[in-house]
Amino acid sequence: MRQLLTSKFFIAVLAFGVASALAAAAHLWQGKPTDYPYHSWTSWAIDDFLAAKKTPQMVFLGSSLMLVPLSGVDADHLNTRLDGAKHHQSAYFEQEFGQKTGFNVKTFNFALPGEMPSDAYLITDFLLKGEKRPQVIVYGVGPRDFMDNLLPSPAATDPFRFLARFGNIAPIASLTMPETFERINFELGQAIYFYGQRIDICRKWSDLAMQLTNDVFPAGKLLSRDVVHQMVPEYKPFQLEQNEAFFRPVTAADLANFVDNLAEYKKRYKTLKSQTFLTQMHFFGDILKTAQQRGTHVVVVAMPITDINRELIPDAAWELYRNKLKDTATTGGASFVDFSESACFNRKDFSDTVHLHSHGGRKFLDLLIEQLADDQTLKAALRQKPDGNVQMAEKSSGGQL
Amino acid sequence: MLFNSLQYLVFLPVVFVLFWLMPHKWRVPLLLVASYVFYMSWRPIYGLLIFGLTVGNFLLVRQIDKATEQKHKKNWVAVVVVANLITLGIFKYAYFSMDCVKAGFDLFGKSFIPPHLHIILPLGISFFVFEFIHYAVEVYRGKPLVAKFMDFALFASFFPTQIAGPIKRYLDFIPQLSVPVMFKWQYIDEGMNLILMGLCKKVLIADNLALVVQAGFSHPANFSSLDLWLITYAFAFQIFFDFSGYTDIARGSALLFGYKVPINFNLPYLAANVADFWHRWHISLSTWLRDYLYIPLGGSRGSTWFNYRNLFLTMALGGLWHGADVHYLVWGVYQGVLLILHKEYVHGLERIGIAKTLMQSKVYHVVSIVLTFHIVCIGWVIFRADTMKTGWEIIGKLAQAPMEIMHFSTSQLAILQIRDPIMFPALLLIVPLLMISHVVVNWLNDKQIYKSPPWAFQVSMMVVMMCLLTIFSPDTSPRFIYFQF
Repeated sequence: MRQLLTSKFFIAVLAFGVASALAAAAHLWQGKPTDYPYHSWTSWAIDDFLAAKKTPQMVFLGSSLMLVPLSGVDADHLNTRLDGAKHHQSAYFEQEFGQKTGFNVKTFNFALPGEMPSDAYLITDFLLKGEKRPQVIVYGVGPRDFMDNLLPSPAATDPFRFLARFGNIAPIASLTMPETFERINFELGQAIYFYGQRIDICRKWSDLAMQLTNDVFPAGKLLSRDVVHQMVPEYKPFQLEQNEAFFRPVTAADLANFVDNLAEYKKRYKTLKSQTFLTQMHFFGDILKTAQQRGTHVVVVAMPITDINRELIPDAAWELYRNKLKDTATTGGASFVDFSESACFNRKDFSDTVHLHSHGGRKFLDLLIEQLADDQTLKAALRQKPDGNVQMAEKSSGGQL
Repeated sequence: MLFNSLQYLVFLPVVFVLFWLMPHKWRVPLLLVASYVFYMSWRPIYGLLIFGLTVGNFLLVRQIDKATEQKHKKNWVAVVVVANLITLGIFKYAYFSMDCVKAGFDLFGKSFIPPHLHIILPLGISFFVFEFIHYAVEVYRGKPLVAKFMDFALFASFFPTQIAGPIKRYLDFIPQLSVPVMFKWQYIDEGMNLILMGLCKKVLIADNLALVVQAGFSHPANFSSLDLWLITYAFAFQIFFDFSGYTDIARGSALLFGYKVPINFNLPYLAANVADFWHRWHISLSTWLRDYLYIPLGGSRGSTWFNYRNLFLTMALGGLWHGADVHYLVWGVYQGVLLILHKEYVHGLERIGIAKTLMQSKVYHVVSIVLTFHIVCIGWVIFRADTMKTGWEIIGKLAQAPMEIMHFSTSQLAILQIRDPIMFPALLLIVPLLMISHVVVNWLNDKQIYKSPPWAFQVSMMVVMMCLLTIFSPDTSPRFIYFQF
C-alpha cells in the first residue's frame, strides 16, 4: 500500500478522479441541450419545435420516407422553395384536412432523414410531453426502419446523438448500445465527467479558439461550406445550415428522373438481423405506450414503397414486418393505415425505389387525409385540449364528424 | 485492434494484471496468447500466416546453424530470406507487380489483363518479416539460435510492436524473456507516462493536423503556394507525431511488462543533413536497412560509385518497403539521391579544406537544419501524395513561393478563408509552435530537470494529459499512418 502511494501514475489517477468529481459537482463547462456542436436536420427541427409558441396538435414522425413527400408537396402547394432547415409543418395537410374535417390543426413535421423508431421514441419521450404534447402523432414507417443492417446500433444515428442530449438515455442503454465496447464507452462517459461532457467542453473551447483566431486573423472572404465539405468530407458529415437544402416546386414535366437505389437497399436488407428488428419493434411499441400514457393518439402509417424495393425483402421477413407492425399498432391503441401494398401507388409516384416525389406525395396525403377523416378516435383526440379536456377545435363551417 | 481504441484500453489492463499475477514460467505463454488475440481480432485467418511464418523460420534457421560448411549455411540463409521475401512480395506487391507487367505490355501495344486477386495486406507483415530476416542473417553470422519456440514466437508476435515496430533485435529482446522480473511500480509510472504521451501525440496533434493535410493533398488547386508550404509542414509534423506517438505507446505497453524495445526517433527535424536525418528518423528501420541491405550489398567498401550504387539501392528499396506504389519508390530514390549528393557535397568541402571550419559554425548549423527540414518536407510531398501527378502539382506550386512572398498579403492564404475546422487558420500558430517545441526539447534534453522532473510535475503532467485525452478524443481516430506499411 505504501508503495502504491508512491506511484506517480496511481496518484495521477486519483487526482484525475477528484478533478472529474469536482468538475461534475460544479457542472463545469456544461452546456444546455440545445448547445449543439453543429446544426443538422435534427437540431433545426428540435429548435423549431421548442421555439414554437403554439403547440402543434399533430406531429409527423418518420424518416425521409415521410419528410420528402410532406415538404415536397408543400413546396408545390405554396409554389415556393422551402428551406429544409426551417420548414417543419405540412401546410398542404393542414389546409386539406381542415377542409375535409373542419378541424383547424397545426402540424409539426418531425420526420428526419435516417430516423429510426429508436429516434422517434426519443422525440416522443423527451420532447412531446407537458406543454408540448400534441393530440395526435402520425408516424410513417417503412421496412428499412426495422431492417437497416448497415446501422451498427440504434445509438449510431445522427438524430440519436442530438436527441440524447434532451434526457436520460441510461435506462435504454442496453437496447440502444448492444455492442460491448459501445456500452463501455457510454459507461465511461457516465463515470468520467470530462469524457461524458466532452462535446460541450470541446464546443466551448472551440468557440474560444474561434474568437481568438478571429481577433488575430480577422475573417475576410470565406470559402463556402460546400467547398470546405468537399475538402474534408468526414468533418461534421451531417452538418446542415440554413439555405443549404431546399425543397423546390416542380411541375409534372420537371420531375427528376427515377433514381435506381436498389444496390444501396440490397445492402441494407441483406441478412435480416433479428436483434435490429426486435429492438426497433420494441421502441416502436414504446412510442405507442408512452403516447397512450400521455393521452396522445397515434396513427401508424405503413408507407408505400416500390414493388422492386419490396422484392428485395424475403417474403418471410416482409410478412413478419407487416404482421408485427399491425399487431403492435392495434394492441398499442393506435390507428393503422396500411399503404405498404396499396395498389394506389406505382413506380411513377416515386423519385427512387422508396421515396415518393412531391406528386406521389400529394396522392399519399390525399389518401391519408381521406382515411384520417373517417378515424373517429383521431377526431376525438383532436377535440381534447392538451390537459385532456374536450375542446371544440372544429371550424364553424366544418361538416358533421 | 488499434492502440487508440477502447478495445485496447480494456485489453491492455487485462493482460497486464494477468501477467503480473502469473508465475514467471507462464508469462511468455500468456503474452503469446495475448499477442495472437491482438492480431486475430483484426482478421482471424491471418493468425495462421504469422504462426506459419514463425514455425517456418524457427525450423529453417536451425538448418543454418546446423550446416557445417559455409556454402551450406549460405544456401540455407538464402532460402530463409527468399522465402520471407516471397511471402512479403505476394501479400504486399502482387497488385503492384501486375500493374507493372500491364504497363510493360501497354508500352509495346500488347494487351494484358491481370488476374483478379483477392489479397488483403496482413497488418504488420513488413515489420515481422524484417525481424525474421534479421534473425536468419544474425544466426548465419554466427550469433546463437533462440532455444525456445515460445520465446521466438513471442519475439515475432509481441503485440506492442507487432503492427508497426519498432523493429526489434532478437538478441536485445529474447534475453529479457528469461529474466524473472519482479513487479515494480516504476514500470507502471514510466509505461503509462509513455502511453499517455503517445496518445496525446496521436489524438491531439496528428489527428487534428490530418484534417488540414487531407484537404491540401486532395485539393491542392484550392490552395496558394504558401498555404501548401504550411500544409506540407503540417504533414511533416503529422507523420512524426503519428509514428512517434505509436512508438511511445508501443514502448510504454512493453514497459508495463518490464520489457524494453528500441527507440525510433531522435528529434529528426533538427537533423543538419539528410544522413543525419536517417540517423534520427525511424531508427529501427534505417539501422535494419544498413545492417541487412546496405552492408550485404557491399556497403561503403569499394569504389565511390559502388558505394553510391549501394546507397541508392538501399534507399530505393527502403522507399518501396513503405508501400507498393510508384510514389513510395520515387520517395526512396529521392532519399538515395539526396544521400549521394550530400556525400559529394561533403567531399567537395573537404577537397577545398573548409569542411571542418564551416560545419563548426553555428550559423551554418542552423542554416543546414532549416535547409534539411525543407528538403525532407519536399520528400514528404512525394510520400503523401496519392499519385505522382498530384505530387508534382504540389511541388510545382511550392516552387512558386518566392513569387508569392514578394507580393505577400494574408488574403492569399486560403487557410484563413476557412474558420471551421478551426485547425486551418490555427495552422499559422501551431506549425511554428511545433517547430519551436523541437528546439526546446533539444535544449532541455541534457538538463537534469528534464531527465528526471520533480515528482509533482510528473503527476501534474499525467493529470493534464488524462484531462486532455478524455475531453478532446474524437469518437473515431484514424489508423496510425504506419499501419498500412
